Amino acid sequence: MAQMKFLCDAERCIECNGCVTACKNANETEWGIQRRRVVTLDDGQPSEVSISVACMHCDDAPCMAVCPTDCFYKTDDGIVLHDKDICIGCGYCLYACPFGAPQFPKQNAFGERGKMDKCTFCAGGPAETKEEEYEKYGANRIAEGKLPLCAEMCSTKALLAGDAQTISDIFRQRVVYRGHKDGGWSSVDKAQASAPDVSANLDNMAYDATRAEK
Amino acid sequence: MRLTRKSSQPTGQDGLGISRRQFLQRSGVATGGLAAAGFMGQGMMKAASAQEKTAYSDAPVETKRTICSHCSVGCGVYAQVQNGVWTGQEPAFDHPINRGAHCAKGASLREHGHSTRRLKYPMKLVDGKWQRLEWDQAISEIGDKVLELRDQYGPDSVYWLGSAKFNNEQAYLMRKLAALWGTNNTDHQARICHSTTVAGVANTWGYGAMTNSLNDMHFSKAILFIGSNPSEAHPVAMQHILHAKERNQAQVIVVDPRFTRTAAKADKYVRLRPGSDVAYIWGLLWHIFENGWEDTQYIEQRVFGMDDVRQEVAQYTPDVVERITGVGEADMRDVARRISENRPGCVVWCMGGTQHTTGNNNTRAYCILELALGNIGVSGGGANIFRGHDNVQGATDLGLMSHSLPGYYGLSEGAWRHWAKVWNLDYEWIKNRFDQTEYNGDLPMHSNGITVSRWIDGVLEDDANIAQRSSLKAMFYWGHAVNSQTRGPEMKKAMSQLELMVVVDPYPTVAAVMNDRTDGVYLLPAATQFENTGSVTATNRSIQWRDQVIEPMFDSKPDHEIMYLLSRKLGFADEFTRNIAVENNRPAIDDVLREINAGMWTVGYTGQSPERLRQHQQNWHTFNFDTLKGEGGPADGEFYGLPWPCWGTAEFKHPGTPLLYDMSKPVKEGGLTFRARFGVEYDGQNLLADGVASKGSELNDGYPEFTADMLKQLGWWDDLTAEEKAAADGKNWKTDLSGGIQRVAIEHGCAPFGNAKARCRVWTFPDEIPKHREPLYTNRRDLVKDYPTWDDVASFYRLPTLYSSIQEKDVSQEFPIILTSGRLVEYEGGGEETRSMSWLAELQQEMFVEINPAQANDLGIKNDDTVWVYGPEGGKVKVKALVTPRVARDVAFMPFHFGGVFEGESLADKYPEGARPYVLGEAANTATTYGYDRVTQMQETKATLCRIEKASA
Amino acid sequence: ADPDQELNQAVGTINADTWREVKNGENFIDTRHDSTYSLINTSGETWRQIRNDWISPAGLIALGSMLAILVIFYLIVGRNDLDEERTGRKLLRWTALERAMHWTVATLFIVLALTGLNLLYGKFVFRHAFGDAFWANLIALTKLTHNYVGPVFGILLLLMLAKWLTVNLPRKHDWQWFKQGGGMVGNKHPDAGFANAGEKAWYWILASVGLLVIVSGFVLDFPLFGQTRDNMQWANMFHAVTSLILMAVALGHIYIGTLGTEGALEGMTTGYVDETWAKQHHNLWYEEVKDSAGQPEQQNPPVDDDTATANRPN
Ligand SMILES: Nc1nc2c(c(=O)[nH]1)N[C@H]1C(S)=C(S)[C@@H](COP(=O)(O)OP(=O)(O)OC[C@H]3O[C@@H](n4cnc5c(=O)[nH]c(N)nc54)[C@H](O)[C@@H]3O)O[C@H]1N2
Ligand SMILES: Nc1nc2c(c(=O)[nH]1)N[C@H]1C(S)=C(S)[C@@H](COP(=O)(O)OP(=O)(O)OC[C@H]3O[C@@H](n4cnc5c(=O)[nH]c(N)nc54)[C@H](O)[C@@H]3O)O[C@H]1N2
Ligand code: HEM
Ligand code: HEM
Ligand code: SF4
Ligand code: SF4
Ligand code: SF4
Ligand code: SF4
Ligand code: SF4
Ligand SMILES: [Mo]
Repeated sequence: MAQMKFLCDAERCIECNGCVTACKNANETEWGIQRRRVVTLDDGQPSEVSISVACMHCDDAPCMAVCPTDCFYKTDDGIVLHDKDICIGCGYCLYACPFGAPQFPKQNAFGERGKMDKCTFCAGGPAETKEEEYEKYGANRIAEGKLPLCAEMCSTKALLAGDAQTISDIFRQRVVYRGHKDGGWSSVDKAQASAPDVSANLDNMAYDATRAEK
Repeated sequence: MRLTRKSSQPTGQDGLGISRRQFLQRSGVATGGLAAAGFMGQGMMKAASAQEKTAYSDAPVETKRTICSHCSVGCGVYAQVQNGVWTGQEPAFDHPINRGAHCAKGASLREHGHSTRRLKYPMKLVDGKWQRLEWDQAISEIGDKVLELRDQYGPDSVYWLGSAKFNNEQAYLMRKLAALWGTNNTDHQARICHSTTVAGVANTWGYGAMTNSLNDMHFSKAILFIGSNPSEAHPVAMQHILHAKERNQAQVIVVDPRFTRTAAKADKYVRLRPGSDVAYIWGLLWHIFENGWEDTQYIEQRVFGMDDVRQEVAQYTPDVVERITGVGEADMRDVARRISENRPGCVVWCMGGTQHTTGNNNTRAYCILELALGNIGVSGGGANIFRGHDNVQGATDLGLMSHSLPGYYGLSEGAWRHWAKVWNLDYEWIKNRFDQTEYNGDLPMHSNGITVSRWIDGVLEDDANIAQRSSLKAMFYWGHAVNSQTRGPEMKKAMSQLELMVVVDPYPTVAAVMNDRTDGVYLLPAATQFENTGSVTATNRSIQWRDQVIEPMFDSKPDHEIMYLLSRKLGFADEFTRNIAVENNRPAIDDVLREINAGMWTVGYTGQSPERLRQHQQNWHTFNFDTLKGEGGPADGEFYGLPWPCWGTAEFKHPGTPLLYDMSKPVKEGGLTFRARFGVEYDGQNLLADGVASKGSELNDGYPEFTADMLKQLGWWDDLTAEEKAAADGKNWKTDLSGGIQRVAIEHGCAPFGNAKARCRVWTFPDEIPKHREPLYTNRRDLVKDYPTWDDVASFYRLPTLYSSIQEKDVSQEFPIILTSGRLVEYEGGGEETRSMSWLAELQQEMFVEINPAQANDLGIKNDDTVWVYGPEGGKVKVKALVTPRVARDVAFMPFHFGGVFEGESLADKYPEGARPYVLGEAANTATTYGYDRVTQMQETKATLCRIEKASA
Repeated sequence: ADPDQELNQAVGTINADTWREVKNGENFIDTRHDSTYSLINTSGETWRQIRNDWISPAGLIALGSMLAILVIFYLIVGRNDLDEERTGRKLLRWTALERAMHWTVATLFIVLALTGLNLLYGKFVFRHAFGDAFWANLIALTKLTHNYVGPVFGILLLLMLAKWLTVNLPRKHDWQWFKQGGGMVGNKHPDAGFANAGEKAWYWILASVGLLVIVSGFVLDFPLFGQTRDNMQWANMFHAVTSLILMAVALGHIYIGTLGTEGALEGMTTGYVDETWAKQHHNLWYEEVKDSAGQPEQQNPPVDDDTATANRPN
């Protein structure tokens, strides 16, 4: 079984918000809810770097562990989903989540927050009908054999989504090409890495999720 | 956890290190009038009317192929439609330019099909209130009024401001509409965008366009961005740039007054003083010449006038350069070395270079740098000028400008006769449409019209000073924002003086609300490009076909239908569409394109028939991602989108030209030489190429442009068919409507336009060799003496144009800070369109000015304070301060996408009901100032002065 | 989850310094409109562990042991009966207002306790037992009830505490009372005023731990004052710990008020206690008010506050 993960390549992310908006497009979350956000460190300084984050679909998901309603579940693909019919909007998942993924439509007195919303890895959620699923959770691209729209539309292919093995392979390859000096990659010969044929492996460089799916 | 910010600055001021986003996060809450953000930190600010979610449907899905309309990268899109509703957007992984990728704007395209903030039906302003109209009535009232103005003031009193948002066919029709109305007072965004590029580059080597392609940048070893910030302005281009960086170990160098998001990805960043680009480039060349890094053989064979450049450059010694640009010798040498050692390399420039009074000098300087390095006409090299709007390249090519007919034919009698023939119209009839009086010795038909940058002066200037019968009385803002032009307060005044304003746009635009009028304003709802079909030219000259995604929303109409309705009302519908079928009042797009094909010989828009373009559109997946070349399939061997020039007729099957001036390929396969545009010799020196020609050429040396006579001399005349001969006799490669001359020249391996040298010296320009000149508003008075601007010009594009008389006044005491402006990734242009799309609007909720921390300390301003930015001509804007090290100490930066607030006052209630954008803000251009390029009338938006004060409330 | 692991997954090749900053939540910005989140919420995992691995089992243990102790105590010691016969003469102990207050507070407390417990432990029981639909309604109602009842309870409890402050101020004899285990050690009943030291202890637990429950509850319930995620984690832990303590102690109080002491409940239901009961449990108070004792029938029904206060010289 695939274990779905995101990986954002900080050397490529340019903070263009394509992913944030793509998510809106796929899932039409209401004003104020952005399942994905782009975080920039050292903004405006030479060390500036950005990454795009959403729910990371943690293996041992903290949100799941603390939810008083136990409304989370994990799919066979390792995607962490939740049932909005059961969610009471207590906010605990947000306290626990390492990535600030859960969001709420409101934040009023008496802890009224509405139903929690978070990235579904574009896998929808539990519902009787497709209408209801779309209404409550947004798109179910996984069911259609597609990968998350945010990653598919990423302007620089910085954001990768898919089976952990596949995306880390792609990422590793990039690191090799970059000839990065530190980390576990340093043993790779730089000259060798910059293969003369620029189009070799281009498919992977511009990660085409539909192909990876096959 | 509440974030705490660490600052690298020593001041300890709490706003440090904060960015525009952070700042927006907070200020957005304040403007929303809502409680402070709580720990949940989201969505406190509800959109006034939250949008309905698109209903789920299981109706069959139709997939349309279209192209993003927000910038010139030209990203492909799969739009999914169910029951006429745009329900899905899928990444076009097989698209050869973007491979499915999008920035925020492209990723939100589907919202165009759902926007509730559109202009919904025709409206007019009556006693200060918006009143709904029927189309018939609107067209008829507008028509009557302009006909009346025509009677009274002549055809030049009406201004037809068109748009780079039009597809090619519409842009062409718009130019034709103005022509048949009898005026050259028409223009579009290119004027205030890349006009200085087009002029400078075309005058250097022939065509004013990006020479290579985004994909070709994969082969670059060095990429120099100067005044270009693709991370925000052309984000998907970054995909290609990062490829080059990763695979080719390309050196990415960013030269910019701001540390941009592109700079964050660069190997080397250089901070430049705004307006000092020529000095910077000369500084690089100084090191290049000093070290002999130039490509002497290339220069000898393909470049004219480099010696003149050497002389000029010799004066730009490292200390001189540092004095002007602020960049020290070590940095200069380092960059010079990087670009010299890593070839091929390309230079990329955009608005940081073009939008200056000296724009024409800047653009030529960049070209000269690339020529010196031998980088033009080679894969991985080039002058990669990233264009602006999705179809600004096409609209420019199609002549939607006050100084030319389509195809850069100009306004001479010959040009008019050429087009009269293509249009199947009588030249005399067209001529009689124009005002027949001469002004300054020119007939309006042959004189450059007023530019979009100066329409304000066209209204406000005394009739006596304008080289046409009267000042402007009516303005059509047809797909063009007004907050994108400088000098807001004067614009407001101009608007109130007009007799008629017509906005034709999917959105009401700022023109609808800042005019201070109570009547005489019409709003006509135009359909967007997703409600249309047609072709669009990307920055790399590829022409892409768009399917219509949805039917025009509400009561909107496609632009070409509105043009037709007007032409009918104005009495020249028949002439307007002589070769074009009209169905339901819509000129057939295919027929329009065929007419374009029939006339656009100069730039090679002749081979791109609707059929071929559709075929490319249907076969995105067959084009190579590096070379754009079709590999197998129906477009085998052709380049994607038949990048112009695509010579000859469609039947000739030219594959398009992926790289301009690339002599390593035969012309027939997309190769090219430098264009012989400037004659064969100058000052007794040869202007034609020296001993080189493109691969497979039967002429192995330079040669002039092809004419019928030349074919005869070469003994190639009989290669023409009988019909071709009939059409070609007495003609040249640009006027032969049969395409025979082009065909035969190419069959013999020659470029129809000749084989010349690129020229470094443009003897028709005010500065033959580019020179540094200080901006009109500069705080470096010490430099004004040494590098003064030009003298005032009495009549230039029909208007008096000031230079020295402005620069002479020293305002730098009261206005000590340099003000520059530019883009945010989420919004486009004047921004009414993108600020009306909630998915984007949510991301940027407030207008701001970037101020350096040290400057902020000096001014006693903290991050998130409200400040006034005063311009030296009296304009002022009230905005939030964003304190950031991104800008230098004496530079302030504002994005220009906001509008709907004027000098502190909200214009929110002036919008027609339900059509107000989600986000409003002060327009940067309310504070910008006078200043126009000496060749093209480009406005100066990148270097003026300002004063910043903390606002009391 | 291991945040470090996730974080290494998430981002490629930026250096250790950057990561340090990320973890500290320094110097970053976020495209979400008014987000105050750091990139990595390292305290979330700590909170989760404390809540799930410590507080929640500890709470079960505390409540369970308290119940067990009370059961055992009851089985071994049995009810604390009156030593002497009832005289039939009644003393006014709790006015109607006081009783109303007590029972409201008590009811709300129980509601809060049950709903609170459901929030903490319900998912282990009800979801599996009764299915999703039932659970969804139950837990939604639970949260709604808890969040709205909480503040009401908080206010009433404060009023009640204020009202009973004077009688619960500690006295010297209270010390003695504790030493004798409230009368269980030795056979002499220790001195006690209107409130004996045990009640006072209950009172002061309410006034301290209870206050913390209320304050933390308010922090959780009104996330409108710029509370950060950290604040909320703290508030939650505080709330859970203190409320569990309170619940455990409350069990004791309830036991004493019902099964544990003969005649105590009477006072809180009717307002009157028997002379004998008063003498036995609150001898000092009895001394002061014995003169006002009478037959219930003779009493003027609802006694107003002033009278009640007059009855209470501590
Ligand atoms: N998101 C978004 N994308 C767009 C557009 C948009 O509105 N929004 N518009 C499209 C259009 S129409 C265009 S023309 C392009 C423009 O694209 P760009 O030109 O790349 O964008 P700008 O932000 O206007 O300017 C680029 C840089 O020029 C720098 N600059 C300012 N003054 C100077 C100077 O004197 N010298 C130099 N060397 N640099 C200077 C600025 O700091 C800025 O970083 O973007 C296109 N893409
Ligand atoms: N201070 C400052 N000013 C600048 C610049 C700068 O950098 N700084 N940049 C300049 C540059 S490069 C440019 S290109 C301009 C851009 O500025 P503008 O081009 O004036 O701004 P846009 O808002 O893009 O204008 C396009 C308009 O067309 C409308 N539109 C969209 N699609 C269609 C269509 O199909 N039909 C019709 N009829 N209308 C349509 C949109 O709603 C919008 O109102 O701004 C210039 N102004
Ligand atoms: C079913 C549950 C309960 C029962 C049966 C009960 C019973 C009693 C009784 C009988 C008394 C009177 C003791 C006396 O007369 O001296 C009393 C007093 C009191 N009870 Fe309760 N009680 C209950 C729950 C609660 C709860 C939940 C609270 C607080 C949150 C509470 C707070 C008090 C206080 C403050 C007093 C007064 C003690 C003093 O004077 O200091 N009770 N209770
Ligand atoms: C004395 C009675 C109370 C008890 C026994 C009690 C108990 C609890 C318990 C056990 C929890 C669950 C903690 C967890 O799952 O980690 C909880 C949560 C909560 N309590 Fe209380 N609580 C009491 C009073 C209050 C008060 C007075 C307030 C408010 C003023 C309050 C507000 C809350 C809130 C807001 C939550 C979070 C639940 C949510 O929002 O879904 N509680 N309480
Ligand atoms: S919501 Fe947070 S904790 Fe839960 S799986 Fe997603 S990232 Fe992990
Ligand atoms: S907000 Fe909903 S999903 Fe999150 S912990 Fe509470 S009940 Fe579970
Ligand atoms: S995976 Fe889907 S739901 Fe999650 S952030 Fe991406 S687009 Fe949004
Ligand atoms: S779309 Fe890609 S590059 Fe753009 S912000 Fe998202 S992750 Fe970064
Ligand atoms: S705005 Fe430009 S880069 Fe962004 S998706 Fe559209 S065409 Fe591509
Ligand atoms: Mo532009």
